[in-house]
Amino acid sequence: MSRRHLFAFAATVAATFTLGALPAAAQGSLNVYCSAQVEWCQAAANAFQKETGIRVNMSQKGSGEVLAQIRAEAQNPRGDLWFGGTGDPHLQAAEDKLTAEYRSPMLDQLHDWARRQAEQSQFRTVGIYAGAMGFGYNPELLARRNIAPPACWKDLLDARFRNEIQMANPQSSGTAYVMIATIVQLMGEEPAFEFLRGMHRNVNAYPRSGTGPIKAVARGETGVSISFVHDAVTERLGGFPVQYVVPCEGTGYEIGSMSIIAGSRNERNARRFYDWALTPAAQQLGAETKQFQTPSNRSTPVPAEAPQMSQIRLIDYDFARYGSSAERRRLIERWDREVNSLPR
Amino acid sequence: MRSAGLWSSALALAAALLLPWYMVQDGILVLSFSNGGWLTDPDGAPALGLILTDGRWWLWPAVLAPVLGLVAALVPLPRPTRSWLFLLAGGVGLALLAAQGWSIGPRGWMILWLQGQFGETEARQYGIGWGGTVVSAALCVLFAAGFAGRGAFRGDAFTATVAVVLTIAIGVFTALPILQMMAGAFRDAGGAFAPTSAVTRLVDDRLWSLGCLAGAPRCGVVWNTLLLALLTATGTTALGLAFALLVTRGRLRLARPLRWLTVLPIVTPPFILGLGLILIFGRSGLLSQAASAWFGIELGRWIYGLPGLLLAQLFAFTPIAFLVLIGVVEGLSPTLEEASQTLRADEKITFRTVTLPLLLPGLANAFLLGFVESIADFGNAVVLGGSFNVLATEIFFAVVGAQADAGRAASLSLILLVLTLVVFFLQQRATGKKSYVSISGKGDAGLPPPLPKGVRRLCLAVAGTWAALTIGLYALAFLGGFVEVWGRDYTPTLRHFVKAFSIEGGQFTGLAWNSVLTTLELAAISAPITAALGILAAWLFSRTRFAGKGALEFATLLSFAVPGTVIGVAYLAAFNLPPLELAGTGAIIVACFVFRNLPVGLRSGMAAMAQIDGSLDEASHTLGGGGMDAFRRVVLPLLRPAIVAGLTYSFVRAMTTVSAVIFLVTAETELATVFIVNRIINGDYGLAISTSLVLIVLMLVVLGVMNLLVGSRRIGRRAVAVTAASPAPLPGAVA
Amino acid sequence: MTRAAEVRFENVTKRYGGTAKAVNDVSFTIPAGTLCTLLGPSGCGKTTTLRMIAGLEYPTEGRVLIGGKDVSALPPAERDVSMVFQSYALFPHMNVLENVGYGLTVSRQPKAKVREAARAALDSVGLSGFEERLPSELSGGQQQRVAVARALVLEPSVLLFDEPLSNLDARLRRRMREEIRDLQQRLGVTVAYVTHDQAEALAISDKIIVMNQAVIAQEGTPRDLYEAPANAFVAGFVGEANRLPATLSHRQGDMAQVTIGSATLSLPHRGAAEGAVQLAVRPEAVELLDVADPATTLRGTVAKAAYLGGLMEYTLTTEAGDVFVIDSHTQRQRGVGEVVGLGLGQRGIAVLPA
Repeated sequence: MSRRHLFAFAATVAATFTLGALPAAAQGSLNVYCSAQVEWCQAAANAFQKETGIRVNMSQKGSGEVLAQIRAEAQNPRGDLWFGGTGDPHLQAAEDKLTAEYRSPMLDQLHDWARRQAEQSQFRTVGIYAGAMGFGYNPELLARRNIAPPACWKDLLDARFRNEIQMANPQSSGTAYVMIATIVQLMGEEPAFEFLRGMHRNVNAYPRSGTGPIKAVARGETGVSISFVHDAVTERLGGFPVQYVVPCEGTGYEIGSMSIIAGSRNERNARRFYDWALTPAAQQLGAETKQFQTPSNRSTPVPAEAPQMSQIRLIDYDFARYGSSAERRRLIERWDREVNSLPR
Repeated sequence: MRSAGLWSSALALAAALLLPWYMVQDGILVLSFSNGGWLTDPDGAPALGLILTDGRWWLWPAVLAPVLGLVAALVPLPRPTRSWLFLLAGGVGLALLAAQGWSIGPRGWMILWLQGQFGETEARQYGIGWGGTVVSAALCVLFAAGFAGRGAFRGDAFTATVAVVLTIAIGVFTALPILQMMAGAFRDAGGAFAPTSAVTRLVDDRLWSLGCLAGAPRCGVVWNTLLLALLTATGTTALGLAFALLVTRGRLRLARPLRWLTVLPIVTPPFILGLGLILIFGRSGLLSQAASAWFGIELGRWIYGLPGLLLAQLFAFTPIAFLVLIGVVEGLSPTLEEASQTLRADEKITFRTVTLPLLLPGLANAFLLGFVESIADFGNAVVLGGSFNVLATEIFFAVVGAQADAGRAASLSLILLVLTLVVFFLQQRATGKKSYVSISGKGDAGLPPPLPKGVRRLCLAVAGTWAALTIGLYALAFLGGFVEVWGRDYTPTLRHFVKAFSIEGGQFTGLAWNSVLTTLELAAISAPITAALGILAAWLFSRTRFAGKGALEFATLLSFAVPGTVIGVAYLAAFNLPPLELAGTGAIIVACFVFRNLPVGLRSGMAAMAQIDGSLDEASHTLGGGGMDAFRRVVLPLLRPAIVAGLTYSFVRAMTTVSAVIFLVTAETELATVFIVNRIINGDYGLAISTSLVLIVLMLVVLGVMNLLVGSRRIGRRAVAVTAASPAPLPGAVA
Repeated sequence: MTRAAEVRFENVTKRYGGTAKAVNDVSFTIPAGTLCTLLGPSGCGKTTTLRMIAGLEYPTEGRVLIGGKDVSALPPAERDVSMVFQSYALFPHMNVLENVGYGLTVSRQPKAKVREAARAALDSVGLSGFEERLPSELSGGQQQRVAVARALVLEPSVLLFDEPLSNLDARLRRRMREEIRDLQQRLGVTVAYVTHDQAEALAISDKIIVMNQAVIAQEGTPRDLYEAPANAFVAGFVGEANRLPATLSHRQGDMAQVTIGSATLSLPHRGAAEGAVQLAVRPEAVELLDVADPATTLRGTVAKAAYLGGLMEYTLTTEAGDVFVIDSHTQRQRGVGEVVGLGLGQRGIAVLPA
């Protein structure tokens, strides 16, 4: 019945009163939910379309939103492929079988971390880039207040950062959860929560969005943030005074992922995009659109501005354990109970 | 009644014979008429074609029901018999069509026990197209005509049709998605039915704790929400009243510009206002920097939390209160105030004892709207909330956050709904029983009295501060569109506009073109529908009595009370499957706009209707006009201000909504607000602001044109005060 | 206009919501071409009755017939009636001509015809030249005429008035009621007219239906009601009446002996049983006498006296209670404290059950 599915979809599109008839191109089409930066999404869509003649409908949304949307559409999926966004929601989708299993022939060319993630998810998702966790800070603001920038996790406990630190709220932000999972793996669970309680005194707010803290740093609303370092680079290129540091004890990282949506109507095209997105040529588009995560294909050149993953002490992040819904819920609830409810 | 039955049956039959039943692949108007092949083509065939050539016997009701209606209308029959037949044809036809639509889906049976009963089926059905839609709609009218024939709705087919269509539309587009989603409150995280989990979620300490009173760092989310909503509703109502009074009675030369100024915040896309406030009041904002440089005072981060949130909501929602109240203040009959003055009440006493009480329904409406807007507001809360959590953000992050707990989102939505319900009930209690008729059929005359001096001064002070702040805020915000980096590098540039709206060789190559044009188109489609439905509903609710009116009235409020994100997810889930397969189309966005903005049109319509004496409608009825005449020729012209308000509001809301549609947009239907939000998330403020600016200018132009076209109400109050009038009679008074 | 139709109520009851009845089992007939007044105090159900004729309310039980046709479930637009509202219900956004022409406009008549008929109707109420005005630019009386013209232009077989004169001053009220009566007679149309003003009702009606507490208290010609009220309520509501306690004895044929104080009168008993009764005595039916026979007249002392130009008003204290008297003999004024005889004839006195 795939022909009928296609028709139904085309009919849906066509009945959009606004745009009238839009006959599908000969090569068919592909509906991509993109959780990377919009320039990157657009560049990827254009490049793929140019190369294959497949029409790409690109819709850019945050990874949490895409997950919610895929869940809502599960009975009658409208998207085919989910490109980019932090790995956790991809893993969750895989856990709930919302995404389809696919072993790309490109897997061999990838970094170990990317391949391992694919294996852990029964090949329902794959890493396309990685980004390390670190601190962003506003050098102008810190200088004005005579505060030395932090260098290690333990510096964040120092009284000089009283009311100067922001991290996102892990109840809503995947970024913040990566931070908690990182220090739990780095220090062990009990010392980690001891650390979080100590740092809580220095935190002025737990914003809802993962990129909230680094934007607050950029606008001078807070001195220090806990963020992905590539986000700090993005802000700096936007013209704001932002520097980043990678903690001396070592740090965790996210794996930006890609999944094919289960029950996709254009599965063949989706697989084609999947393979294509893992090639060095496609992965270079990230840097071309000023996104400085580390690409997952070993032979993709890494741009000079990008934080060099090889020079960062990365922990051996256990995505299988800390990506599971149960562990996540347990840690977040513990954080809410033992840290968030404390007075400052 | 008979003619309504006749034309609706005929229309339904024509649609069943000619229009493609399912959604067509090649667009709406493309039918190959040349060989008549479309009549039997399985993809584009009308109902009859499908029945005859494809064996889809379950579509017979689509043909037989209209035939029955037609027969009943044409054969001479006594009125009661004909009415029964209309009811039967319309009601049973609709029910059967709905039943088949929800039984057979794109993968065969949609209900498990049917599959158990009848085994696998080869039949596959997709979303209904024009044929299905027109047949169903016409059967609704037929059903209503039958209803009217039985004596319901004063025997008027038009009124009955309005009632039936509204009921079905609100049922399908408001109640269905929301109730379906609410059912999620009774499921656990895995999706299984678990009523106890709802209880656990609802008594959660995070919701109800009053710890902050005892020194704990935070209070329950519900209390936060309630506190904020009460403050916002009170504030916006007071501010709105101040503006309405100033504009209509302040004898102010600046009344017009002031009026436009109040419109500005409503036409502002979300987030811009919050960001502007941070830029002024934030820790590194202009004010804080000035305070630190000149006085050495650190103002700190006070803007994050309740104060900032309240400030932003006051900015954002005062105009809504103003729009509601201006209609009421303008409609106030000056003779009543003149009467008071002749009774030895001075200006102040008159204002307090006559003017204010007469404004009560309007004030109550404005308060209700402010309250509901506040508890559903997501955009400001997410930017300025800090650690002050409210339900709207909690719900959003329960849906999309790291925990992705749909059940919790549903439970929280339930609480939001209950809050709305309580306020709605209180508002009804406060104003429901009294009569505030002020435009009676007796030609009425008089001059509105000027405001008492004290009141005028107060209004001026409040409005002046507000106006100055607004101007400052916007000047600063708009600056962002013309400088390199907002809040950082103030080198002037036009590059953001070039990037967003460049046109090269007749091609729209700017990044923002696509979304702006789509937004305009969808807003232009939805605004008139919203306004029309809102006014019709207001008319129906205030002029007829029927069973279930209260429930229906409340149901319209549902979609307004629930935060946009919840609506978005609920819509996606409800309209993702046939027969109402709207997801991914512009239609679902239009439906979302219409039913989400309906309550405002409805409330302002009802406030205005409360001032129009019911005997005007009755006069029209006794003069031989049907319900349609009374509505079109009498009520509509008198409701012009309310219509302008409804049109304006729904258009603007459609242009500025983001949270409700974020899940509904696709690449084809990307909206400008979603585009702007994504730019802000990416820190590209210049592009976001330049797009916002263009949107704002567009909206202002449209609003101006609308105001000109609709014009102001012609009641012909005299310029010179004459005798005091007798008190206006109650509508439908029983002697 | 010869299409006047009869209006008939058959056991009509109207309930709002629960059990409270606005109109309780009411039956009456308004003969074609007559002016019938529904009279009664506020809340007696008269306006509800009128609105049921119009089709603005539907009876809960019983039937409403116009011209012999059952219209109980018909909407107002499908009944051949039109109505003049208490508030006039002039459309404030339409000028006088548009208001008057409204009924024809909505029945899809050609514009020229509408205009012509509306002008004619305006002419008939003496408002030529006001076509372009808005209702708010007219005086109360003019608005009233516009409302009448608007109702007339449809040439309905039944015309309804709901307290049409209550918003006018006394002088205008008298003139307007005469005009309405003239118009009705000239056109021969059936009119149902609601008022709470008994003088108005007496002045213009062919027939009056007095309602009280959702039921008909009495119906009949003005004369019937005035001279032979069926009960104390009607006696008190239609015109003024002194109610005096009396005793009835010796019924014989239509007549009976009625003893009031020391006097005994021979009056029609009108069905009252022997024993205690009430006498309803019209103020102008009492003749003041200098010399009186105590067997046939009552004696009283003048307590109050007022000179009203054309007549005198007295309040007299008698053994049967205070009696209010209107005396047209203004030449013979009586002072306070003077003792007079009260001559009671047969007219203007009615026996009512106690």
